[in-house]
Amino acid sequence: MSRLLETSGLSRSFGGLRAVAGLSFAVAEGEILGLIGPNGAGKTTAINLLSGVIKPNAGRVVFAGEEVTGLPPHHLARKGLVRTFQSTVVYGHRTVRENALRGAFLGLYPGVVPAFLGTLRARARRRETEDRIAELLAWFGLDHLGEAIAGSLPYGRQKSLGMVIALAARPRLLMLDEPVAGLAAEEADQVLETIRRIRQRGVTLIVVDHNMRFISGLCDRLVVLHHGQELAQGTPQQVLADSAVIAAYLGRGHGAA
Amino acid sequence: MFTPTLLAQVVVNGLSLGAIYVLVALGFTLLFGIMRVVNFAHGAFAVLGGYALYYLYGQYRLPYILAVPLSALLVAVISLLLERCVFRWFYQKMFQSMIGLLGLNMALVFGSVIIWDTYERAIPPAFNGMLQLGGVILPLDRLMVVAIAAAILALFWLFMSRSRWGLAMRAAAQDVEIAEAQGIDTLSTYRLAFFIAIFMTALAGGLYAQIYALSPFMGDRPLVVAFIAVILGGMGSIPGAALGGLILGFTESFLSTFYGATLSAFVSFGVVILLLIFRPWGLLGTPE
Amino acid sequence: MASVIGAAARSTRPRISALHGLVAGAALLLALWPLVFGNKFLLALATLVALYAIGAASLHLIIRTGHVSFAHAGFMGVAGYVAVLSQMRLGLPFAAALPLGCLAAATVALAIGPLILRVTGKYFVLVTFLFGEILRLVFTEWTAVTGGSNGIFDVPPPAPVFATPLGFYYLALGAAVLCVGIVARILGSEIGRTIDALREAERLAECSGVPVIRWKVAVFVVACALAGVQGVLQAHYLRLIDPTTFSIVESLNLVVMNVIGGMQRLAGALIGALFLTALPELLRGYVEMQRVFFGIILIIVMAALPGGIIEIGARLRALGKAR
Ligand SMILES: Nc1ncnc2c1ncn2[C@@H]1O[C@H](COP(=O)(O)OP(=O)(O)OP(=O)(O)O)[C@@H](O)[C@H]1O
Ligand SMILES: [Mg+2]
Repeated sequence: MSRLLETSGLSRSFGGLRAVAGLSFAVAEGEILGLIGPNGAGKTTAINLLSGVIKPNAGRVVFAGEEVTGLPPHHLARKGLVRTFQSTVVYGHRTVRENALRGAFLGLYPGVVPAFLGTLRARARRRETEDRIAELLAWFGLDHLGEAIAGSLPYGRQKSLGMVIALAARPRLLMLDEPVAGLAAEEADQVLETIRRIRQRGVTLIVVDHNMRFISGLCDRLVVLHHGQELAQGTPQQVLADSAVIAAYLGRGHGAA
Repeated sequence: MFTPTLLAQVVVNGLSLGAIYVLVALGFTLLFGIMRVVNFAHGAFAVLGGYALYYLYGQYRLPYILAVPLSALLVAVISLLLERCVFRWFYQKMFQSMIGLLGLNMALVFGSVIIWDTYERAIPPAFNGMLQLGGVILPLDRLMVVAIAAAILALFWLFMSRSRWGLAMRAAAQDVEIAEAQGIDTLSTYRLAFFIAIFMTALAGGLYAQIYALSPFMGDRPLVVAFIAVILGGMGSIPGAALGGLILGFTESFLSTFYGATLSAFVSFGVVILLLIFRPWGLLGTPE
Repeated sequence: MASVIGAAARSTRPRISALHGLVAGAALLLALWPLVFGNKFLLALATLVALYAIGAASLHLIIRTGHVSFAHAGFMGVAGYVAVLSQMRLGLPFAAALPLGCLAAATVALAIGPLILRVTGKYFVLVTFLFGEILRLVFTEWTAVTGGSNGIFDVPPPAPVFATPLGFYYLALGAAVLCVGIVARILGSEIGRTIDALREAERLAECSGVPVIRWKVAVFVVACALAGVQGVLQAHYLRLIDPTTFSIVESLNLVVMNVIGGMQRLAGALIGALFLTALPELLRGYVEMQRVFFGIILIIVMAALPGGIIEIGARLRALGKAR
């Protein structure tokens, strides 16, 4: 398996606080990598760095053999690096379908002139995108809610919609920031199933969570963060057996999440 | 060209202009910092202050030292009516306040035109003399402006830092909800802040009208100045507004004496635009 | 599933065609206006409304990206001066001077857009407020070129056909239909979808691949170029170009048109242009009273209808539904 994403020495501080310090790991094509750590460990910051939302102070990111360190999010999205947000972000005043269409910008937008003129090519893209989106919405059980206003949906549905928006951009690598936090067990299981299906479609994933039990069943490999630093890395079995992890993380509040 | 007298005059002019700007800017920043209203009608209150001083001092011949604070007080008291009917609608609504108060500005300015016509009036100077200090000659009326403004600013500072009401206002500026949870009556805090803001602005307007000339359109310049000073110092920051006002007063006095008013305006606008782009929270504000 | 989407798409069709009908009706009315009302005053009024519709609609385009520019009249001025000067000094024909003026406005917008569009809402207002002042200062102080605060007199008519009020009215109407049409088409296309997306959730749009700053700059440039059309035509209409026509007051006027009409919809900008141009003209005899009155209306609209006049329609509809 080839390496799709590789970071080395990735660091970012806020004032004096080292939110992420010297993070190095690699994700293989087709893999599900878990990024785990207690609250404030630096998981979201890591995702922000990888998706270009914030810029690193030091370190490198290589995606698909190309250095992408410090590139802006839209550039990375174009290359296939897409993420969701922890605090659910959707276009609250718009319909579910409109949300999905906006997520599909890269496939849908035909360029200024065709868009302005509404050419045949633009219309073909629109039809194609609508079919794709219909399928995506069905995956997440949102197909009957296409005309519902996103902001009025229950929390779990909004989280699903966040994933739809990300998937609509046709990512090669999808980063999910706590996709199941705050969901009921039943909903969480559905999301898990969906994540597996996404992988079957050939999408590589980085999944962030702080629930060890949930994530070890899903992921091929784990990276454990603590105070911005890597504590351990390896298969779930290796990580669960790691004495540093047991001492620092599992030792207190195991399963509390 | 740098004779001591000229230099001293530039300094005194800068100081008096700066003091007026500080008063105007403080009023503006108080309204913004506490109630989140962008007072586009600020200049109109300066105009009202000018006319009040014109009557109390120029017409009715009250002693200067009494006429200045009384005229500002008069405007502030009457303006409480506007607080009730207009401003109250726009508290914590920044964007609506801009447009709505723009409307208020229009109504007040053209109302003034109807009452007082557009011609310029002069408020007689408080003193005609010059103060001679060694080889340096200074205009007394400018020094008087500095003294009055300094006294008001000192009172304001004492009020904000020592009194219960000042503390309440600062708490409300920090976070309205927390302030309310602590039992601060926001509505009367707002009213008080409004009163003080208008008092200072009207006072500054009177002094400004005395230095330049009084007309219903006089307020444009104080408004723009308040804007720039407040941006310079940081929106909503009280020390920032003071610093911004002083910087602006000195820059204007210096540049316009030596290089002309146009260059002075270009420089101050240009600097502020750059500042807004690279440090939008101003010199003394805090980033969001 | 596909049928769900098909049905949804169909259900929006009739509303759009009703809108089209309305627009066509309005256009017809405007075209026949001078023939029905052979009144000079009303013709002048209609011309002004057409001109301001261009400025208000182009500002609406910028507002849709989430930025309210207070320098819009300044850009009009850039176009106006460049066009008038290139015609009167260089002898260019109107047909070349107009695009040249718009190009000049677009160039200035392109030069400062990348810098100023980085700052957020309220700061953008302040930056553009000051930039508008700077532009006005240039118009006023660069006396050798702009004629200073007196401006430039005797601007020739665009062409002999447009020398009469009626001819000019049709020119202004044609320009307005074209410019507003362009704005409407932009907003109705995939471009408009993306503009709305980046206003509503900039970060999210960016992560879906939208180069947000570049889009904002592009929209800003196009809008300033369109505003230039009003600037140029207005100079020809008034036969005069001077700094007061492009001051902060005029910029504010355009902002107020958008706000008072309703900022979320293009129709709001047009209603605002109509309202704010027609009302002052109709009350012309009482300039001061009229201004006072106007200020009070602004206060009331902002206090009671923060969504603008267009909200009245929505509220009435909601009332109707409630019954
Ligand atoms: N923009 C920022 N400015 C300042 N500090 C920040 C910023 N973003 C994150 N931090 C700090 O960096 C640290 C790591 O935060 P981060 O959000 O990455 O943690 P996390 O692992 O995602 O936690 P959680 O499980 O709560 O989501 C925290 O202490 C946080 O306060
Ligand atoms: Mg997080």
